[in-house]
Amino acid sequence: MSQRDVLAELRAAQVAAPAEVRERVRLVVAESPAPPRRHVTWRRALVIAVPVAAAVAAAVVFTRPSHPHPQAAEQRAIPHGSAAAGADKLAPTITTRSGTPAFVPSARNRVQVVGTTLSLRIATAKDVSDAVKRAVQITTSLSGYAASVHEQTHGKFASANLTLKVPRAHVQQAMSRLAQLGTITAEQVQVTDKTAGLNATGREIARLQKQLAAARAASPPNPKQIAALATHIQRLQRSEAQTRLNAHYATIKLHLATPPAAPRKHGHGPLHGVVVALRWLGIGAVYALAIGVPVAIVLALIWLAVRFIRRRREDALLN
Amino acid sequence: MTFAQAAEAHLDDVYGYLAWFTSDRYAAEDLTATTFERALRLWHRFDPDRGSARTWLCQVARTVALDHFRSEKRRTRREQLAAPPEAVDFRFAEGLSPDLERALARLTAGEREVVALRVLLDLDAAAASRILGISPTNCTTRLNRALKKLEEALDVAA
Repeated sequence: MSQRDVLAELRAAQVAAPAEVRERVRLVVAESPAPPRRHVTWRRALVIAVPVAAAVAAAVVFTRPSHPHPQAAEQRAIPHGSAAAGADKLAPTITTRSGTPAFVPSARNRVQVVGTTLSLRIATAKDVSDAVKRAVQITTSLSGYAASVHEQTHGKFASANLTLKVPRAHVQQAMSRLAQLGTITAEQVQVTDKTAGLNATGREIARLQKQLAAARAASPPNPKQIAALATHIQRLQRSEAQTRLNAHYATIKLHLATPPAAPRKHGHGPLHGVVVALRWLGIGAVYALAIGVPVAIVLALIWLAVRFIRRRREDALLN
Repeated sequence: MTFAQAAEAHLDDVYGYLAWFTSDRYAAEDLTATTFERALRLWHRFDPDRGSARTWLCQVARTVALDHFRSEKRRTRREQLAAPPEAVDFRFAEGLSPDLERALARLTAGEREVVALRVLLDLDAAAASRILGISPTNCTTRLNRALKKLEEALDVAA
């Protein structure tokens, strides 16, 4: 018998379900009406949910403010002169961007190291040069001196950095007069009180001098101990003198500069929004590829392995 | 097409497929009823754009039959220890010669399944392969192998 004959005989065969099976199926259909077809499947929901989620994410990204407002930065600065009280105890730092120089807290009967920084905006490059000369004049007129002067000009733009030493008693006056050279853009005042340290040093010196006198009065005197005590006393006295000298002069770091070049305004065309959106979409696509491709490969491998195992089991079951 | 219409139109096909697949009339009757119960619950998932109702019902029937085979395997494993199963005298269809009936009975369930789908139900390779979860080429290869075995069995009988 040929394969064609086998096929013909098989095709001619008729298989009909027995009447009882037909009746059972009719009962199944009749007893339980078919549930209504669901119009919202998870695939359709996904098709809608993914673009909506992307749109929400894009809206959040585009509407989020990226930089704090300059006015807010101005308001956050420490108010002018607010830290003056109690300035002689710790080392207060006053930072301000207001139009008048900060008050420099100073107590004449205490030893304090005062350092200030003053940044001024000057209209033109020539005015910067004049302001440098005027600042040096102001300093010398107040019995101070210029420790360093650095000035540079580049076309319309110029800047200068000066380190000025002014007697502490005149630092407030110096700041006021220097501030008149231009518009204050920033300033900082730092006061460090050294009185307590000097008092301690003085007590230490007195104690050592007593020891030195006792060592000299001893019989026989110990020359090594006497020399060591004398050296220690001298070192402390030099340190004390140096501290008093530093405290005598306040350091003013003066920065003068012309206004920076105005940033070029970018003219946004009508398609700017589209370009930005496309750029974000591109970034998103790159991230999706970088993360999605390995995940997809792993999932595909898992799916293939599961399918392979399932088929092997089916074959084993059916053969 | 409603579920009732689909059930009425393809009941014989589903029963024939299950009968040839299991080569057990009583099991096929039970499995046919179970298939339509399950199909009724899953009817909302049926998409006419992705295939015919007959193909979909055969897919459901196959799942039901595989569950049956698994439970039968477990059962026979237990019962074989006590007593070997009795051979069931089953007729695959009216009009088949006794030699062909015997040859069909010697085929494995997997081979009978592909013969039922491709020959009895006259499904094309694409539809049959979708039900079996294999490629159309693989499906055709299985069919040829099964037909060759039938031919050889009939030659021996002759």
